[in-house]
Amino acid sequence: MTTKLFGEPVRRREDARLIIGQGRYLDDIGADAHAAAFLRSPYAHARVVDIDVTGALDVEGLLAIYTYADLTGPLAEPLPVLIPHPQLTHPRTGYPLAKDVVQHVGEAVVMVVATDRYVAEDAAALIEVTYEELPVVVGVDAARAALHAVHEDVPDNVAARHHQETGDVAVALAASAHTLSFTQYVERSAAMPMEGKGVHARWDADDKALRVYTSTQASTSVRAAIAAKLQLSLEKVEVIAPDVGGGFGVKIVHPWPEELLVPMAAIALGHEVKWTEDRREHFISSAHERQQRQEITVGYDDGGRVTALDVHIWHDNGAYTPYGIIIPIVTATQLVGPYAVPVYRVQVDSVFTNTVIVTPYRGAGRPQGCFAMERTMDRIAQERGIDRAEVRSRNLIQVDQFPYDQHLTFQDGRPVIYDSGDYVGLMDKLKALIDWDSVVERRADAEARGRLLGIGMAMYVEGTGPGPYEGGHVQVLGSGKVLVSTGLTSQGQGHETVFAQLVASELGVPMEDVEVTTGDTRRFGYAVGTFASRAAVMSGNAVALAARGVREKALRIAADVLEAEPADLVIEDGLVQVKGVPGTSIPLRTVAVLSNPLRYAFDEAAKQATQFAGPGDNSKPPVAVGDAPGLEHTDYYSPIRSTFASGAHAVVVEIDPATWEIDVVQYAVVHDCGNVVNPMIVEGQVHGGVAQGVGGALYERMAYDADGQLQNASFMDFLMPYASEVPPVVIDHQETASPLNPLGLKGAGEAGVIPGSAAIASAIEDAVGRRIAAMPISPTELYDLVRSSAADRVTNTDPTLPTLNTGAMA
Amino acid sequence: MNLDGSAVLSAPPEEVWAVITDPAVLARTIPGCVSLEQVGEDSYRMHVAVGVGAIRGSYAGEVHLTDQQRPSSYVMHASGAGAPGQVRATVPISLEAVDGGTRVTYSADAVVGGPVAGVGQRMITGVAKRMAGQFFSAIDAELAGTAPTAGPVEAVVSTTDGSAEPPPALRTTFTNPAVATGGWVPTEARPLLVGAAGGGVLALVGVWIGYLLGRRR
Repeated sequence: MTTKLFGEPVRRREDARLIIGQGRYLDDIGADAHAAAFLRSPYAHARVVDIDVTGALDVEGLLAIYTYADLTGPLAEPLPVLIPHPQLTHPRTGYPLAKDVVQHVGEAVVMVVATDRYVAEDAAALIEVTYEELPVVVGVDAARAALHAVHEDVPDNVAARHHQETGDVAVALAASAHTLSFTQYVERSAAMPMEGKGVHARWDADDKALRVYTSTQASTSVRAAIAAKLQLSLEKVEVIAPDVGGGFGVKIVHPWPEELLVPMAAIALGHEVKWTEDRREHFISSAHERQQRQEITVGYDDGGRVTALDVHIWHDNGAYTPYGIIIPIVTATQLVGPYAVPVYRVQVDSVFTNTVIVTPYRGAGRPQGCFAMERTMDRIAQERGIDRAEVRSRNLIQVDQFPYDQHLTFQDGRPVIYDSGDYVGLMDKLKALIDWDSVVERRADAEARGRLLGIGMAMYVEGTGPGPYEGGHVQVLGSGKVLVSTGLTSQGQGHETVFAQLVASELGVPMEDVEVTTGDTRRFGYAVGTFASRAAVMSGNAVALAARGVREKALRIAADVLEAEPADLVIEDGLVQVKGVPGTSIPLRTVAVLSNPLRYAFDEAAKQATQFAGPGDNSKPPVAVGDAPGLEHTDYYSPIRSTFASGAHAVVVEIDPATWEIDVVQYAVVHDCGNVVNPMIVEGQVHGGVAQGVGGALYERMAYDADGQLQNASFMDFLMPYASEVPPVVIDHQETASPLNPLGLKGAGEAGVIPGSAAIASAIEDAVGRRIAAMPISPTELYDLVRSSAADRVTNTDPTLPTLNTGAMA
Repeated sequence: MNLDGSAVLSAPPEEVWAVITDPAVLARTIPGCVSLEQVGEDSYRMHVAVGVGAIRGSYAGEVHLTDQQRPSSYVMHASGAGAPGQVRATVPISLEAVDGGTRVTYSADAVVGGPVAGVGQRMITGVAKRMAGQFFSAIDAELAGTAPTAGPVEAVVSTTDGSAEPPPALRTTFTNPAVATGGWVPTEARPLLVGAAGGGVLALVGVWIGYLLGRRR
């Protein structure tokens, strides 16, 4: 399907509201609400011995103090394990408020409610909690060594051992002409949305109904969790995601303790209660991601073609496993990327540490998998003396091999079958876009300027749009306005624009007439959530199907009025008319009025639908059997399995050998997310992803000390790239439509971040001639690496260029 | 909810008994006690004014003592009803001679209803412990004879109806010259910060109801 709006770079309609301060974020709600503040554990692992509130009692404005002792029923039980899995043999989750033991700095122990946040914080500061410190486990290696246990009943700290294999890897490795074995690391980072978490709850004692606003990526599921934990009937609970100032995955986790405790307090006190997360709270009590130790053994032939791949990953899942083993599964299955790997075995040991929980952050395990595979390709190229792009090309899945079955099981429980793609095309476009073969001259030019230049690349395949489903509702009002709703939430991606584009295209109405509502359980009760690059694929297709349903009904009604065949009718600019007969038409808004037979007229338009308005067909009831009043339709899209987007990034870095400052001077992206609904929005997603990729590669890390104290829990100490650190990004699109969904879409939300660390590591390695086996890397670390005699020297000898890069510092 | 604990008072059981069951003394020692009126054999009606930060207000409640085994044990029943909620407490109390005095041991079982139950157990017990501490230090002062002298004892000839009307002689109102308004417990009383007993529970009841009334502002 194509119309003039599908595929157009329509400007984001939500931006005007958001950039002039007209957005409505969580903290803009409930000015008169009481405020909650939390007293959180200052220790990474400790037993709570006593809580003495005496000191807080005299604080004017203090209203309530809650501890675990005040939790009753399901609320006193551990928080849910959202995604159980047979291989998650030792799932552990915390309590809304610490029961006996705290497992990481920042775990909530006491909730204070007062007339305002300042008073609540003052009172919390006067509460004395006595702790008995316990041994602390920090970092994936310490968890692996298991000298101490995070959870005493899990002595080896292993929550899960995820394992998949496509053949006998031992045999395949033994039969391989060459093998390489190495270990590498990826550090922790975090999403850091501009707006942290926040919850506002209002209890209507007369209706016995609860309304909760929360900055979430899954309002329908938060609703179900609140109803279950507070033992309320589902229809008495409304959950609304207002404007959400970024999520990037951290807000898909639910219910956060605060999403249960704030409503609990609102009910107990009979007054609105609100909590807005501050930045330090976000650092120490939300979620992080990324840290892995990767042990890789690869077998390959003389030409650099991979014959076997054996990967053992140690994944730091933090103190608890509320989100199951989704990240380990994603890393394990997406690692192979665009390559044909004859025999693959992967094991991911997900281990506990006394640090903030680890849950999906944009990319969700893919950046690590990409880092493993792409760095492997670089090593093979270096060992074989073959150009890095050439080695990749020799291993790519070919166009005629789709659909390609990797014989793995993805995070949605369905097979990893690449539905469509053109990876050779990606590589060709990428080499042209970055001018891969001109590196010799550029390196010479840079060295003439006293700088070290390096180039690197990385490719990826991203499973997007997992099910189980999303739904959409489209309704045409008598005013001509078109209401669109989906339960899936938004966090700034431009859903209002894209869904309006789709409905306007499908229905043939002006986009201005379309109003979109997302993430509001009052409007749409069935949904899964915003994650895994699924909004456009899932809700996009759902609202398009709903619009098609409305169109069919509109044509049926209009056909009666116009005495024509539905097939002969078209809808353009909100007008239903007979093809080729301009005069005979009826406005869609009038069709909407007629779709609802009325007894009572409340305005001029309504008169047309009343019983004496015109000659009716007395042989039929006003509403036909099986039909329903109103011009509206609800539909759902549920995919057979995920659809697989793909892409390739190339980057050029320049390094100052005096300061070892690393400048990303060129960044090229070739991106394939199937049919593109709005290229401007897709490019915006790619730009944002690249920025987070650069951050993860060069700046961001969670600086935990041995005691589990996060030492950079502020924006003064946690480095993020500014506009000045994000390079200009050149993008080329490739569109291989997905055969799995009506619109041929694939997800685009996370793509930009996936290959960042792999491509940048490859470029830095190329520039300095030293092995980069851990990311991120700072100028200081690079300086030490280059001066270290132990550092592994490497060269990317390329047939097309002399090896002038001897690791210039030698 | 339960509040268990004990406190050592510096006098023999007989003396302690005399003091902690003497309405005139209780009126002086229960934190915030405005007045305590004996309305029958071992039955009292009282008014308590409480002023602790988040929890303040005034309240009227009733206390009844049963199962008296002088000087070793008795059971106190306290109850109060403020508009937004109600509180009921049963407190078995025992006195036992120990070195240098008497150990008062108690186990209070209190039922709290209404919105007040929503403020969190730590807050309620926190206030209760403070009131108990104040009560015990005051009682100990009485025993040590360092307490302020009793205020004017006002005899009331009320005409309360009801068949079981006690003899006029028993109908007396005791008042507290200096109404305690909470505030910090003197450090020397800290060892006594162990929970509510006797008047402590009375005060606790007062605190709760006072809180309820306070909430209505």
